[in-house]
Amino acid sequence: MSAATLAIAIPLLAAPVIALIGAPLTGARANLCVTVLVFLITLAVFASPGAGLIHADSLGVIFGILTGFIALTTAVQNIAFVRAEQSHGSARRWRVYHAMCQIMLGTTLMGLYADNIGLLWVAVEGATIAATLGVSLPRTATALEAAWKYFVLGGVGIALALFGTMLTYLAAQPALGPGLTAMSLSALAANAGHLDGALMTLAFVFLLFGYGTKAALVPLHGWLPDAYAEGPAPLTTTLSGPMLNVALIAILRFRHLMQANFAAGGAALQPGPFLLTLGLASLLLTGLSLARRRDARRFFGFSSIEHSGLAVFAFGIGGATAIFAGLLHMILHTLIKSALFQALIRGAALRGGGAPGNYGFSHLRGMLATNKYLGWALGACVFALVGLPPSGLFVTEFLIVSQTIQRAPLLSLPLGLGLLLCAVAIIRNIGPLVFDPPPAGTVAIPAGRGVGLVVLHLAAVLLLAFAMPPALVLALSGIAAGLQ
Amino acid sequence: MTLTYPLAHALGAVMLLCAFAMLSQRRLAALISLYQIEAITLTAAAFWQGFAQHEINLYLTGLITLIIKAVLAPIALRRIVHHFNLIRAVETAMPVGLSMILGVALIGIAVLVVLPITVNAVTLTREDLAISLSIVLLGLLVMTTRRNALSQVIGFLSTENGLVLAAIGMPGMPFVAELSVALLVLVAFLVVGVFVFRIREHFDTLDLKGIEAIERRGR
Repeated sequence: MSAATLAIAIPLLAAPVIALIGAPLTGARANLCVTVLVFLITLAVFASPGAGLIHADSLGVIFGILTGFIALTTAVQNIAFVRAEQSHGSARRWRVYHAMCQIMLGTTLMGLYADNIGLLWVAVEGATIAATLGVSLPRTATALEAAWKYFVLGGVGIALALFGTMLTYLAAQPALGPGLTAMSLSALAANAGHLDGALMTLAFVFLLFGYGTKAALVPLHGWLPDAYAEGPAPLTTTLSGPMLNVALIAILRFRHLMQANFAAGGAALQPGPFLLTLGLASLLLTGLSLARRRDARRFFGFSSIEHSGLAVFAFGIGGATAIFAGLLHMILHTLIKSALFQALIRGAALRGGGAPGNYGFSHLRGMLATNKYLGWALGACVFALVGLPPSGLFVTEFLIVSQTIQRAPLLSLPLGLGLLLCAVAIIRNIGPLVFDPPPAGTVAIPAGRGVGLVVLHLAAVLLLAFAMPPALVLALSGIAAGLQ
Repeated sequence: MTLTYPLAHALGAVMLLCAFAMLSQRRLAALISLYQIEAITLTAAAFWQGFAQHEINLYLTGLITLIIKAVLAPIALRRIVHHFNLIRAVETAMPVGLSMILGVALIGIAVLVVLPITVNAVTLTREDLAISLSIVLLGLLVMTTRRNALSQVIGFLSTENGLVLAAIGMPGMPFVAELSVALLVLVAFLVVGVFVFRIREHFDTLDLKGIEAIERRGR
């Protein structure tokens, strides 16, 4: 059995076992143990990527390691979260919660490692079900509303994606013959020029809207802010970040099929305009709506929509450089966003529990007074999200903007406007969040070792953006050149 | 002239008719009956395709459809209706006439989109695909035109039926897809069941107008 298969199977098999553990803290520790194991295996996937249905290409391997890392730090921070929150909610909910964490991890890895469009779809579907159950766990009226919204929108997205998957098979079937080959991503990519272009275009529209729902692109983004704000924070915010990547990578791969078919003289339309429209819409809408958010988790949820949109925009621009920038942007954003949410969860816990109301900006302001390390870490995370130097996102956003000027000059204006609007809205919150006078009755509390992990994330971002190991540069640019 | 095409198309047409009739139904009991007829027809279509394509997997798909969608799901839905005493007419978000006009337009779009681009595909697949796309779109339309959680669920299930119809019509489609569709229906139904009950606990009614409370709160 290959490492890739193991990395998927272990969390999925561990989920029902963890669900049997009654005590929340023991559950959190078991969750951590399994996650450490899975992280180590994701590193080993390099050596043993598997074959057939589950076959990790280098793109899958890189994002698999990222997913494993995020899951690991989340699982460490989760222990503190459970300790602070275990009095709320019955033991049964904590069991479901930890089981869902593992299912989320397993399905995300499955989505990254699968070399079969059917399996990819199953992974996204499983993750949606796990996330929906997770969001509903607090059992408050608003959490149930958010979960219902997620379920309806996610379900429609899944249905559309399945239809697109079947159409892709139909488009490939004359060239690749009936059977599993016509559903293999690598075989599809190798034979993109021979696919039925017109059918592939129809399939792409369905796939774009289907996976676009999971990537929270703008007309389909409605579930994300609510899900982020209402569910148990570590599951619905940090752990579901890598799931956005799965959807974005799926969109990137199908875009490549379209582009290659178009380049080979097939009947497929150019995918660029679709992606550019959705990307710009995401960017501009978040730019306008960020300023009005009062709840930190909703606010940063909208910021995730912005960055998803930016990655899709980069894919739409096309060319190896822009796709390289888009992929690096996804990696860095996932690292920063999970660090940010880990800091936020810790901050909210220090300020009296992680109930949804405690994530208002007015409640979290002046974090320095509660704990100076946490305050600075939180400020650094928010600043890193803006995309000004020395944040790693500066590098990728610079690449994306310069590529836009080269390849589609007219679009650089709305792109710049969107980036500016979002940056201003985020910067405005740093001051109050970190330095403002805190709410009355705030006392200084030690934050624990969790802050170190947040700093580790930020250090990884700096390293990846400004001193990326040459091997990784080579691997990423190879992927980008292959998918351009 | 073999019976393969006419019968497959006739079964698809019955399903389309059911999906369309859902648009005009105001009563939940009738919606469930329509869904049940649709699912039974889908079972027949799966068996027929299995016979025509000599695929044992399609018989299995048909069997799963029969048990879960045509028998168990309607029973569960009816129990929910009785349990919550929802037998009276339900509110629609849009006049029925308008939604039916939209439905006709969607069917037209589906046919106009699918038929020209599948000229090279097998004929049987072509029409099947147009019909199933219409059913998918009609199911989505039912979801958008209803305020009631249960009728949204039925709309979603109808969409699922359309997807399975497309899957069984694909020549030689590997079993992965069929299994996953069956899985989805099963799991989705569980989730929905949980939701419907839990929503009931908190809102006293299955009307989803309350979902706008999230909008009004400061976000």
